[in-house]
Amino acid sequence: MIKTWELDPGFKDEIMKEPGGEHLTSCYQCSTCTIGCPITEIVPSYNPRKIIQMSLLGMREEVLSSPDLWICLICQTCTARCPQDVGISDLLSAIRRIAEKDEEAGKLKIESSRPLFDTAFLHTVEKYGRLYDIGLAMEYYPKREGSFIAGQKAMMKDYMDFGMRMFFKGKMGPLGGHGLLKGVLPSKIKKTDVMKKIFKWAEEKEK
Amino acid sequence: MSVTKLAYYPGCPSEATALDQHISTEAVFEKLGVELVEVEDWNCCGAAEAENPMLVYALNARNLAIAERASLNIMTPCSICYYNLARTAKALKEDEKLSAEIKGIDSSLEYNGTITAKHVLDVLVNDIGMDELESKIVKKLNIKVAPYYGCYIGRPRETAYDDPDDPVLMDKLIELMGGEVVPFTQMKTLCCGGPLMMTRADIAYDMARTILGTAKSAGADCVALACPLCGMMLDAKQPDIEKALGIKIEMPVVYITQLLGLALGIDASKLGLDKNAVDTKELLGKVV
Ligand code: SF4
Ligand code: SF4
Repeated sequence: MIKTWELDPGFKDEIMKEPGGEHLTSCYQCSTCTIGCPITEIVPSYNPRKIIQMSLLGMREEVLSSPDLWICLICQTCTARCPQDVGISDLLSAIRRIAEKDEEAGKLKIESSRPLFDTAFLHTVEKYGRLYDIGLAMEYYPKREGSFIAGQKAMMKDYMDFGMRMFFKGKMGPLGGHGLLKGVLPSKIKKTDVMKKIFKWAEEKEK
Repeated sequence: MSVTKLAYYPGCPSEATALDQHISTEAVFEKLGVELVEVEDWNCCGAAEAENPMLVYALNARNLAIAERASLNIMTPCSICYYNLARTAKALKEDEKLSAEIKGIDSSLEYNGTITAKHVLDVLVNDIGMDELESKIVKKLNIKVAPYYGCYIGRPRETAYDDPDDPVLMDKLIELMGGEVVPFTQMKTLCCGGPLMMTRADIAYDMARTILGTAKSAGADCVALACPLCGMMLDAKQPDIEKALGIKIEMPVVYITQLLGLALGIDASKLGLDKNAVDTKELLGKVV
């Protein structure tokens, strides 16, 4: 049931102001995006058309707190097929960023570990200029599990088989890769100062 | 052949999980007489994890600018790196204000739109070309291949370089090398599930299983692909998928550059074929 007193008529504009969210109102609810979506095949309740409809109606809270936002693959299948060029993959990304801002402001608790993963990933890029898998894991798992010890356990569980496999194939770990410690130590670029500037600028832009 | 020298952007997986793709790409281009100049001090493209397009544009402007200063088009073996480079090139070319703003972050981010971003597969088939490749092929691949394209090769439209529903570039290469393409159209462009690997492995594994299972029932000897993240999901993670779902798949997954390298007569060890998670020995026996 839609409770009109809980609708936020400004939500539409809030989305359309975000890069990627510009074409929200071009949607004419044809469902092409949803029919071709690979996630809908696996999780039948997942419905990108409905997320748009709810956004247009101003159901801000329901949209931003929906765990479905975080299982989109960003695969662009919907974008490629939409007859209205809504750019729905990027639009969902714009909505996720609004949810993250709300969480940062203490207004929302996101029911997914994906923002934690993305943030940990980007922290390594900001610091080293390249992805550093181990650094990512050391931040992501403890945050996801709520404590350092539980995080280490979860990480071991995920990495035990996989990590050893990569090690024996010479792709990671001591003696792996092209160098003695490839994958163990971060591959750091020279211009990390430029990375800091880039991240600072992009953060300012998000505000 | 018009292309003799390119800036090469290997991308983060090239240093670890996609080492096999990286070395096979370098070996293939060396054999083809195309010089690859690694983008000096390149940085991460932001992958799918950078959801803020402004961050993507700034990160990729730096890599584009480095290649531009060397007056070379930039080529990458990764689909998501390609997408991020190509959409940045497009955005900066079309939006002068944005371009100026990004240059304002640091002068090393000045990109003037004089070079373009390309994916390895596009360069091989469309720039180097089928005739040139044919003239250099010395071995025949007696194998059945399921060509898997995944995302960003045929979509979104703005940066696509192949058909969105039935891409053909890898099919063409496989046939040129004497291989047989198995019926696989339905799976070609389905996402591998990779973006959810670390946060919703249940969904990701389900997607990968569908792709690998379809290749198997189509009678493929291997899956061929052109992206290190697809490689991570379908090859490196395959034993984990088998374990989690209690099934056997055992489907070799190779990069198209590994196959092309074999056809060009390059030794398997120089193509990283001992590094794929699922054993590739049986395939090697079918190269004559
Ligand atoms: S395909 Fe496009 S127009 Fe149709 S419902 Fe989806 S977003 Fe709206
Ligand atoms: S980008 Fe997201 S919503 Fe669109 S088809 Fe892919 S998984 Fe579905």
